[in-house]
Amino acid sequence: MFDLIEPIVFVLLSVALVGAGAAVVLLRRITSGALLMAFTFLCIAGMFVLLGAETIAAFQVLIYVGAITVLILYGVMFTPQSPRSYPLFFQRQTPLAAVFVALIAVPVVFIALSFRDGGPPASGGGDLVPLATSLFGPFAFPFEVASVLLLAAMIGAIALVKREDPLDDEFGEERL
Amino acid sequence: MTHVPLGAFIAVSAMLFFIGCAGVLMRRNAVVILMCVELMLNAANLALVAFSRRLPAADERGSVFVTFVFVIAAAEVAVGLAIVLAAYRNRPSVDVDEARAMRG
Amino acid sequence: MNLVDLVWLIPAFPLAAFLVNGIFGRRWLGKATGPIASAAVAASAVLALGVFSQVAGGHAQTVVPLYEWIGVADFRVDVAALVDPLSATMLVVVTVVSLLVHVYSIGYMAHDHGLHRFFTWLPLFVFAMLVLVLADNYLLMFVGWEGVGLCSYLLIGFWFERPEPQGAAKKAFVMNRIGDWGFMIGMITTFLLFGTLNFTEVFERVGIAQQGVLTLICLAFFLGATGKSAQLPLYSWLPDAMEGPSPVSALIHAATMVTAGVYLVARSTPLFAAAGPALQVVGAVGALTAIFAATIALVQFDIKRVMAYSTVSQLGYMFLALGVGAPIAAMFHLFTHAFFKALLFLGSGSVIHGIDDVQDMRRMGGLRSKMPITYWTMVIAGGALAAIPPLAGFWSKDEILATAFLNGHTLLWLVGLVTGALTAFYVTRAIWLTFHGEPRDRHLFDHAHESPRIMTIPLLVLAVGSVLAGFVGVPPESGFIHRFLGPVTEAAGRATEQAPAVTSIIALAALSVVASVVGILIGLSMYARHHPDPAAVARAAGPYYRVLVNKYYVDELYDRRFVGLANAFAGASWAFDIHIIDGIVNRLGSLFGILGSGLRRAQTGLVGNYALSIVAGLLAVMIAYGGYAAGVFGR
Repeated sequence: MFDLIEPIVFVLLSVALVGAGAAVVLLRRITSGALLMAFTFLCIAGMFVLLGAETIAAFQVLIYVGAITVLILYGVMFTPQSPRSYPLFFQRQTPLAAVFVALIAVPVVFIALSFRDGGPPASGGGDLVPLATSLFGPFAFPFEVASVLLLAAMIGAIALVKREDPLDDEFGEERL
Repeated sequence: MTHVPLGAFIAVSAMLFFIGCAGVLMRRNAVVILMCVELMLNAANLALVAFSRRLPAADERGSVFVTFVFVIAAAEVAVGLAIVLAAYRNRPSVDVDEARAMRG
Repeated sequence: MNLVDLVWLIPAFPLAAFLVNGIFGRRWLGKATGPIASAAVAASAVLALGVFSQVAGGHAQTVVPLYEWIGVADFRVDVAALVDPLSATMLVVVTVVSLLVHVYSIGYMAHDHGLHRFFTWLPLFVFAMLVLVLADNYLLMFVGWEGVGLCSYLLIGFWFERPEPQGAAKKAFVMNRIGDWGFMIGMITTFLLFGTLNFTEVFERVGIAQQGVLTLICLAFFLGATGKSAQLPLYSWLPDAMEGPSPVSALIHAATMVTAGVYLVARSTPLFAAAGPALQVVGAVGALTAIFAATIALVQFDIKRVMAYSTVSQLGYMFLALGVGAPIAAMFHLFTHAFFKALLFLGSGSVIHGIDDVQDMRRMGGLRSKMPITYWTMVIAGGALAAIPPLAGFWSKDEILATAFLNGHTLLWLVGLVTGALTAFYVTRAIWLTFHGEPRDRHLFDHAHESPRIMTIPLLVLAVGSVLAGFVGVPPESGFIHRFLGPVTEAAGRATEQAPAVTSIIALAALSVVASVVGILIGLSMYARHHPDPAAVARAAGPYYRVLVNKYYVDELYDRRFVGLANAFAGASWAFDIHIIDGIVNRLGSLFGILGSGLRRAQTGLVGNYALSIVAGLLAVMIAYGGYAAGVFGR
């Protein structure tokens, strides 16, 4: 019985993940969409745990479920969600897009199913040690560069949103 | 203990990816499009971690890349939202179909 | 120290002056450009004199290579200086006269706002002329040849605010281009025939050529020479070139550039000597030009135009000398002429400068008392031009005429003799009208003044030259210049003339002196005593006088025949260009316009469409990959 815990968890997570993802795309209410997106991120974290990557899962929760979701929610807050007078989907390209995506997705999913494990699964111990040895070993330099990238993104975001008008400074800060 | 095969993870990852892809193509709200892009990134992360854990030859490199994807995703969301807000300030709409300045 | 190896410095100094004045002249140097250019040319002149003395001291003919310019398979052209007596003589003439003209120009151009421009082009001209002189092959010579043509154009059109200099500059340039075309034909044929353009190598191989082809080459080169040296039929730009400043007329259009054609033919003596008929053409054209231009000079009233026609006429003498097989005499006359004609022009410039830029002799008169230095130097130069012994012109011109007679060209000699009398007449007339008699324009006369010292000193130096330059050719046929230049022409395998009897030389000299004196006396009698009165003569001559005043209607003829033809051709070409060429181009352009407006629709501006196209691309890649994997496209 316990043998089946992992597959069962996997199936539950998969269904939740795909369902929530589809809902993000399909739901008209953007706030619900954002929350469902956070839920999807959480499911992904669960997948990581299933795969034995506890550290990555922790990051996932911290960064995606925490930071990015909050950012997106701020974005939703600051943009108007006016009732739309036109249908959500049926732009001119929508049918075409659906056909294209389906054409690609179906073979890809089938190809994906054909992947086989490359050997016996790693024997516990989590991924913290190998991740840390890689990040602070051969990948130390890209890791440092990534911090510069974050800094650049931060400055860029500030510069983009900053208002020129000194009278509106308070608002500008509030938005940041 | 029964293991879920690698293929199953990859298939779920692919499905999530194409859901996100369809969202990017179909939705018109810029914030939703950003959200869909995040979904696609997460799908890619899932595939990377799955390969990294299940293929010993990968030597955990996938997890390292996922770390970098986190960084880039954070940066992307920050800048993307900033752009959306800046655009919204100029023209009070987040509908990408109304941003047609590049029309030939 | 071997100065010959430093010969490349001679053109380098003026080039440096050109660059410095050209770059810094307008903003910073201003009035300093004149002294800078003069100093550079002075350095060149000193070095040129040094090189000349070494060559005169027996230094063998030397080629000083600088670098290989073109080296393609068999075609090899070096930038190299050929130092031999011929080029050494030219070096001295060019640099010394240039130096004097530069110094003179400091005074003459002092109040011109384009001063820096003037002292940029003038050293550039000197540089180009020195390249022309020093070149050891036809191609490099052509570079200098074109360079002096360009400077001539720039300096004739120096006062481009007025329309006349513009037109004159264009005329000079176009006519020179016709001559250059001949030069190029000659050069190309030479290369095809001999496989080289190097002077020494070409002259060594003269024997292999047929006379017909050789004649063609020589005539082509001579066409180039007629353009540059203002001979019939391409002479008419030179009188118009007097629109430029007087120093330019003196340097470029009297002393140096116009002698380039003479130098070219003298340099190519071995070629011309081997091609018999070409020499006869050269002599005939020279004689015809000499008398033709002299007759026009008789009736002109613009002082500079008189000098210009005189230059054309004297250049005709030089070609006459070349044609009768006396290149030494030609170079001798070139040498002396450079001094006295430069002096005449600078003197005219001094007069013009002193009376408010008036050039019409009918408004001058009596200026002798106001401008003594100018007057006396002009008289010396005029005497030299009229070939009064012992002034410079006498020795050289007499030698040309004597050689012509002794070599059996009696007709050419006769033409030369008559031209001598005409020359003496018109120079007398010009000097009398300018300096003697009653002042015809009181206002101008009252304001007339002698030129500043910086202008009169070059006049004096040139006057000394005009007196002494002839003595390098004394005694006739065996003077210094003959011994000096002899090897050049003898090396060409030309038969040296047998020494003529002294009595015949003296008789011939006496004849030409008589001709000159007759010319002068007639001039004096007509203009000093009005006996016969010039106006009466003009009336009596009626139509002939009008033909002369209108310069034989050559300009009108050219205008109608060639310019009209060229205009018609240009009009047809223009129509062809507009309708056919532009038509094709416009159709092509509008074709792409249509294509573009079709493709423009793809740029919807909708981000979603762009994203979709990315996905479509992904689909295409996948299909291609799948097809490849399945072996659809073959392995």
